[in-house]
Amino acid sequence: MLSYILKRLLLLVLTLWIVLTVTFLLTNVVPGNVAVMILGTRSNPETLAALEQRLGLNDPLPVQYVRWLGKTVSGRWGDSLRFDQPIGALVRQKLVTSSVLVVMALIIAVVASIPLGVIAARRQNRWQDTATSGVALVGISLPDFFWGILFILVFSRWLRWLPSSGSVDPGQDLVQSLRHALLPALALGVGLMAHLTRMTRSAMLETLSKDYVRVSRAKGLAERKVTYKHALRNAVGPVLTVAGLQLGYLFGGVIVVESLFNYTGLGWLTYQALLNRDVPLIQASVLVIAAIFMLSNLIVDLLYRALDPRIEYG
Amino acid sequence: MADEATTIEVRPGLPGDRGRAASGRARALRRIFRTSKGLVGGTLVALVVVVGVLGPVVIPHHLATQIDVLHRLAPPSAAHPLGTDQLGRDELVRMLLGARTSLYVGVLAVALSVVIGLPLGLIGGYFGGWADLVLMRIVDAIISFPVLLLALTISAVLGPNLTNATLSIGIVYAPYLARIARSEVLKVSAMPYVEAARASGAGHVWIMLRTVLPNIVPPVIVQSTISMAFAILAEAALSFLGLGTQPPTPSWGLMIQAARDYLDIAPWTALVPGAAIALSVLGLNMLGDALRDALDPSFVMEQARRAEG
Repeated sequence: MLSYILKRLLLLVLTLWIVLTVTFLLTNVVPGNVAVMILGTRSNPETLAALEQRLGLNDPLPVQYVRWLGKTVSGRWGDSLRFDQPIGALVRQKLVTSSVLVVMALIIAVVASIPLGVIAARRQNRWQDTATSGVALVGISLPDFFWGILFILVFSRWLRWLPSSGSVDPGQDLVQSLRHALLPALALGVGLMAHLTRMTRSAMLETLSKDYVRVSRAKGLAERKVTYKHALRNAVGPVLTVAGLQLGYLFGGVIVVESLFNYTGLGWLTYQALLNRDVPLIQASVLVIAAIFMLSNLIVDLLYRALDPRIEYG
Repeated sequence: MADEATTIEVRPGLPGDRGRAASGRARALRRIFRTSKGLVGGTLVALVVVVGVLGPVVIPHHLATQIDVLHRLAPPSAAHPLGTDQLGRDELVRMLLGARTSLYVGVLAVALSVVIGLPLGLIGGYFGGWADLVLMRIVDAIISFPVLLLALTISAVLGPNLTNATLSIGIVYAPYLARIARSEVLKVSAMPYVEAARASGAGHVWIMLRTVLPNIVPPVIVQSTISMAFAILAEAALSFLGLGTQPPTPSWGLMIQAARDYLDIAPWTALVPGAAIALSVLGLNMLGDALRDALDPSFVMEQARRAEG
């Protein structure tokens, strides 16, 4: 197990290096350099030259690459051009705000999807199954921003239950913070919920046809007990794994949802960086999101292997 | 007779009963449309294709761009069956014309990802070794970026417009196709008929293109169909954020973006393009499911086995 973890960590470092390189290339090789991005295409040539000099853009690309790599790895990310603040602190603060949203979305998705999947599997091919599967299919076919708009319309404009815009720091006012996160979390979680419902259903169908389930039925256990104690326990493992894997996926989805709800987390920050061509901030936020994505995949994979001794270490 | 003999000689990799294989494939295609999933999915996709191709030809262009301030944000009526938007433009017309944008992005982005991903997967899976290791590390690294984040970044950096949105979506999905192609190549390469081709002295390129490639086409088609659904969703998201299609080109994502400010008074301006996205993505997902059931016999057998318990 230990050598496997080491191997995975080594691979992680390698992948992270490629991710860094891709990010660098993405923001440097394209036509128009950072200085042009900052000042715009019709800027004063002298100002442009001065800024190019200041940012070291006249050096050869490999030199810039090595310098950038050194700075990024050692955590000296510099200042955001758009917000005029140190990027490290900015990203850390927004990460907390986004985490509230993402964890909430994950909880909503898991709590709603497992009972739905179980009901669909127990009532296979009856109306409960058809309805659940239909809802799940619609869930994955609509973009999250469209769900967001529907939720704003229903819960914020018509029913006036929840705010449709903004975010509150959880340290300041926890209740308000959660109230602001609820609608975006719903919008973010719908797709995952639909996905997990489909997974729970098929995993339950598979376990319900296993021999030990048949045995427990044969010895006269109540159907409820068979379903929840014997089948669900065994079916829920892979579903939770997928849910964990989707943590990174949810972090990827925050850009659209946070922009829609003006929820000032990491996704909103990335969007602002992209809109304002704030290159250092684009690089930092893209890297942080990719790193979270990779780490959550690794942790889930290791946990899954630790929990299930049948899996061999390759 | 002589014809058949040459066929066997020239195609060392094929099992020899080409006729049977072809009719099997035709049967598989017929089977797709006999399932309700395949029928509904196929119909929806056909509808989007017909509207996307014919819409701009049949519908006079001025109907989509004509601004009519007196009738802005008008609810559905006889003159405007699905209402009008914030500039008084007909929602139905704009929705129908938006199908072209989605179709354009869906088809071209997926074509691009196949053109990039398929050769990489083919080469990596076939040769293995260092080439495979390096290719798959790069693929893994690109997959480490959330899809939408990477597409948004590429599109923003290149300059947001329809072409660059298509490019960025195509690039982002290429690694997924490379991965699928590679794993299928690994499966196929272990087959006796590939070994037979090798034993008969066929070259690497010949084996890859004539023996391996035809046998990995079905899963690639399934993945492409599903990728197309994602590409349409991605275009809508990019345009919604202002980093994709730019006005005045009709796009479902752009229509929803514009509708944001008028949700209270004109909810139909958001619901119409939303329904269009949902129906086309739903269609592609259902068709993809049905295609997988029909084209991948191992999957069907697996399901049958499961059902029997």
